[in-house]
Amino acid sequence: MMGPNIVWYLCVSAFLFTTGAAGVLIRRSPLIILLSLEIMLNGANLALIAFSRYHGTGDGQIFALTVMAVAAAEVVVGLGLIVAMARRRLELDVDKLRTLRG
Amino acid sequence: MSSGWLTTALIFLPVAGAIVVWVLPLKPFATASTAVLFALAEVALWIDALARYDFSKPGPQLAQQTSWFSDLNVSYHVGLYGFSVWFVGLTTVVLAAAIAYAFWAGRERADAYYGLMLLLTGAIVGVFVAQDLLLFYVFWEAMLIPLYFLVGVWGGPGRLRATIVFVIYTMAGSLLMLASIIALGFSQGSFDMVGTGTNGSDWIFLGFMAAFVVKAPLFPFHAWLPEAYRESSPEVAAVLSGVVSKVAAYGFLRIAIAKFPGPTLDFRVAILVLAGCGLIYGSMLAFRAPDVRGVIAYSSLAQMGLITFGLFAINDLGLNGSVLQIVNHGLLSATLFLLAGGIERRAATGELGRLGGMARGRPALATVLMVTGVIALAVPGSSAFAGEFAILAGVFQYGWGWAVVGAIAIVLAAMYMLRLISAVLHRSPGPAISDAALDLRPAELGILVPLLACLLVLSAWPAAITERAFALRKPIDIQSIIAGHIPTTLCANGLSAAERRALIGLGVKLVESPSCSSQSLTTGNLESQSNLRSVLP
Amino acid sequence: MSAAAWICLLAPLGAALAITLAGQRLSRRGAGYLATASVGASFVAAVVVFVLLLGDSPNNREHPSVAWHWLTAGSYTFNLGILVDPLSTYMMLIVAGVGFLIVAYSIGYMDGDDEERRYFAYMALFVFSMLLLVQAGNLLILLAGWGMVGLSSYLLIGFWHERPEAVAAAKKAFVMNAFGDAAMALGLFLLVQQTGSLDFGVVFPAAGGLSPTVANLVALGLLGGAVAKSAQLPLQTWLPDAMEGPTPVSALIHAATMVTAGVYLIVRTNAIFEAAPTVQEVAAGLGAATLLMAGLIALVQTDIKRVIAYSTMSQIGYMFLAAGIGAYADGMFHLLTHAFFKALLFLAAGIVIHALSGEQDLRKMGGLRHKLPRTYWSFIVGGLALAGIPVFSGFFSKDPILSSALAQGWYGEILWVVGMVGCFLTGLYTFRMIFLAFWGEEKDGDLHAPEKDVPGISMGVTVAILTVLAAIAGFLQVFELWTPVSNWLDPVAPPLVVPTSTQEVVSSLVAVTLGLGGIGVAWWIYGARRAEAPEPSKLLEHKFYFDELYDAIFYRPAVLLAHGLLRFVERPLVFGSLRELTQGVRELGTGVRNLQTGLVRTYAFAIAASLAVVTLVFVVVR
Repeated sequence: MMGPNIVWYLCVSAFLFTTGAAGVLIRRSPLIILLSLEIMLNGANLALIAFSRYHGTGDGQIFALTVMAVAAAEVVVGLGLIVAMARRRLELDVDKLRTLRG
Repeated sequence: MSSGWLTTALIFLPVAGAIVVWVLPLKPFATASTAVLFALAEVALWIDALARYDFSKPGPQLAQQTSWFSDLNVSYHVGLYGFSVWFVGLTTVVLAAAIAYAFWAGRERADAYYGLMLLLTGAIVGVFVAQDLLLFYVFWEAMLIPLYFLVGVWGGPGRLRATIVFVIYTMAGSLLMLASIIALGFSQGSFDMVGTGTNGSDWIFLGFMAAFVVKAPLFPFHAWLPEAYRESSPEVAAVLSGVVSKVAAYGFLRIAIAKFPGPTLDFRVAILVLAGCGLIYGSMLAFRAPDVRGVIAYSSLAQMGLITFGLFAINDLGLNGSVLQIVNHGLLSATLFLLAGGIERRAATGELGRLGGMARGRPALATVLMVTGVIALAVPGSSAFAGEFAILAGVFQYGWGWAVVGAIAIVLAAMYMLRLISAVLHRSPGPAISDAALDLRPAELGILVPLLACLLVLSAWPAAITERAFALRKPIDIQSIIAGHIPTTLCANGLSAAERRALIGLGVKLVESPSCSSQSLTTGNLESQSNLRSVLP
Repeated sequence: MSAAAWICLLAPLGAALAITLAGQRLSRRGAGYLATASVGASFVAAVVVFVLLLGDSPNNREHPSVAWHWLTAGSYTFNLGILVDPLSTYMMLIVAGVGFLIVAYSIGYMDGDDEERRYFAYMALFVFSMLLLVQAGNLLILLAGWGMVGLSSYLLIGFWHERPEAVAAAKKAFVMNAFGDAAMALGLFLLVQQTGSLDFGVVFPAAGGLSPTVANLVALGLLGGAVAKSAQLPLQTWLPDAMEGPTPVSALIHAATMVTAGVYLIVRTNAIFEAAPTVQEVAAGLGAATLLMAGLIALVQTDIKRVIAYSTMSQIGYMFLAAGIGAYADGMFHLLTHAFFKALLFLAAGIVIHALSGEQDLRKMGGLRHKLPRTYWSFIVGGLALAGIPVFSGFFSKDPILSSALAQGWYGEILWVVGMVGCFLTGLYTFRMIFLAFWGEEKDGDLHAPEKDVPGISMGVTVAILTVLAAIAGFLQVFELWTPVSNWLDPVAPPLVVPTSTQEVVSSLVAVTLGLGGIGVAWWIYGARRAEAPEPSKLLEHKFYFDELYDAIFYRPAVLLAHGLLRFVERPLVFGSLRELTQGVRELGTGVRNLQTGLVRTYAFAIAASLAVVTLVFVVVR
């Protein structure tokens, strides 16, 4: 069974990654940034699986699964932070959170 | 060699002492006495090493070697050369005096203080006996840690600034040295310092020199010196100028000259110029310094210039004179700083303008300061004079102008030392001197008199050191002559038959003429080469 | 023989150490006795050496003895060794003999001083150093003794260290001598380079083979040391100031022994000087110039000790003249007689000063011959010997020098004329001093409270002995009729010049006439008061402005240079560079800090952007 050419998978992957990256850079809401991060990760996952298929090995798929596990863990931490911020009635705007400024 | 343990013990006995005073919950008095005992045991250990050492043989003795990182050919390799024996002896004696002085003066947080002093002893001895470049570096940096705390915690009011300047300055130098050590280690395939031949790279040489000129210090790298010597406690200043600066002189001798004969000759004039500037400059500033420690500090700068003069004359007279002068100056500046400490305790100030008249009714203080002072100004007949004479006679053979600079410095030394002696001892008592200010106490005499006794013995017999610093010279080995530094034509005057044969075999044309102008220079060069042979295995 | 020589050398050192270490345990008197006994032992040992040496044949009287290697360096070896030969024995006898008398005198003179122990320790140290100088077997040990006599001189000039003038004078003496030491050391460096040794036995035979330039430079270096130590032009200014020390010190160090070391050095190293005839002529010329200058300055001095000090400079000028023209034995003989009569004058002056409770100003003295008759006669004997009046010792020693000069061609004739003027001046200033102090009317009784003529046995006996010696010592050598001194010394330093009998007669007649003339003028003006004393000239009162000159061309520039270095190099460049460096690092940090916005977004953008740039570069370069 032959699917579309691998180039197309990579195009979609790149599109997803760029969308996610743009979201991370542009949006201010931490929730949306987290969401965009997930999109970036999924873009990367798609590329991994596509290559895995292309080369006929299972390595890429294993990596993809690992990435998904890490992403889940990351979402838990990220959402936890957002909940904590909401609880302390902090404004959900990353531009306001600049205590790291030198 | 069977008694290699002795060298290791010389390094680690004080370290063990440091651990003991840290770990055992002793009272300050007991801590201090333990530290003094360890320091004296270290001196005894050195005397044992001196007795076992055979000065007629070349190469390191009492050596011990164990592989450390085998893949990089790094090993724990320690051993003593003839001159290193004297460096180690100076260290043990001065550190013992310094620790005893601290005991007498009483220092807060005794366990930390004495622990650091003992650790410093071990580190300095380590530098003098290490025969592996990486080990050398480890000890070199290990020296800095105790000094950082000793100056920064127990120093005077301006100690923080002094410490930071001192540490950053020396770190900058020693990091360049680290780069050079790595480069040298990889280029020769081993970090061992014995039996690895010489190197001709100017850049690696300059990296080492960076560390040494700052540590010595040579003019104009001495910005850390006045403050560090003024702000530390007297015994730490004694160690700094008496011993720590000598580490640099050792580096000049053991690494710069012995491992890099080519670059040494390339940069010789530049180094001699710096040394000469330092000699005159330090003497001039010592002459105008407003306080006791300032005079001693700047005179140290001058003396290091003189020692460097002798080392880079690279002939018998210069090298032997320098080793002698290193020991002399180590003992002298230690004694003078401890005396300065005693004077400051009595007068609560070191300003020369507020001192004076201390000779009246204080015969011990007057005698000790006068004797130390006149030896320090190298009055003919003293050990310092013997050192200076040999150094300047040596550098004269390289070029008469250098010796003239040295001769001017002799006069300046008389001027600043007499100024110091008179300002402290003579005239009517200054405002800071009360009649209640005591003469030297027996405890102080117990510390100072042994140092002074060493100096007097050396004055009667300077050859004790100069006969035992470098192994007897072997006939010139053709392989050891580095091509390019021997002229094609040589004056035959003054060369032994063996040397002539060796040179003719090398393709050098020998000229027999009653008035060779090149004679001194060329025999100087030959001597330098053969001296390198005794430094190298 | 060597053993006796070593005992001679080490006895005073032992006494100095013992007095220092014993401290309070030794009584003040005890310190004096110990020092005197040790110097006495030295003298006895020196006599033993002399007698033993007398038993050797004249050409076999060199006995080097080495204790151990003092300094070595590879193939160079400098021994701690002494040389017993006629010259060193001659000097040992003078140093230990005169030294013994003067140390004994000091027991009475220093009686009651707080720090007698220190004084006697210094005196013993001085005698040791001086003996080391004259007994040294090589030039390095000679230089060691040379420096140590300078050190003892410093310690003794500044003995009363609470007086600022004494401290300043001591420092001046030491520093001026340090110039001489440095010059000498440079000469020795050259000698080491050329001959590889400093042993007399190696260096002197090799001296003839040195190239003229080398020989001249070495001799010049040695001469530099000699003029500094002997207070000759141009390093003479320290000696008058050195009179701040106790009077016996002036007698021993600044008249009889140390200041004559320069003459000894030239005679000892005559082989080198003969290889450098130009420098030898310079030495003679400097001696002549100094004897004239010092004689002139002595005319206007008002301090009794300074008159004698200038006369010492002047007399050493004669000795330099002798050594410079090669009349070595004559110079050394004058050194001997001068040691006697000058020590006598100083010690007698010490009695006067003691009697007047510290007064040294000639203008406040007068009529003392009634109160101090014996001292007066000692002074007269010393003065006549100094002025070179026949039968007294100075006549027999000074005249051969002048007649030798006459035998030395046109240059010698110039020197002879200068020396003759010096004879006149000597008579004049010596008797000016004597007439001012001992004649005339007695001044205010308050100042003049001499308890007795001779204050104590130690002072009285020693002065008496010296008086006798000053009177008769001249008969040790009577021209060419009876020449034991020359016979003794000639093997070490053969003379370069021998005057004819005519020259000797002419020279002696002129010298005695001029000396008597000087005395006569002094009597006319100061004794009989037949004429008004002339106004002292400013030039002489300021000692030809040497102090001012050296101050302006050496001391002030050095101080200015030191200040300048501190102000324009040390602070701005050395410390300043440090400050600039830290400032630079701090500013860099401030700049970099602005990049740290705290916005995660910018960081992410920076990462993305740099990644993009790297990718682009990667792609393009590929």
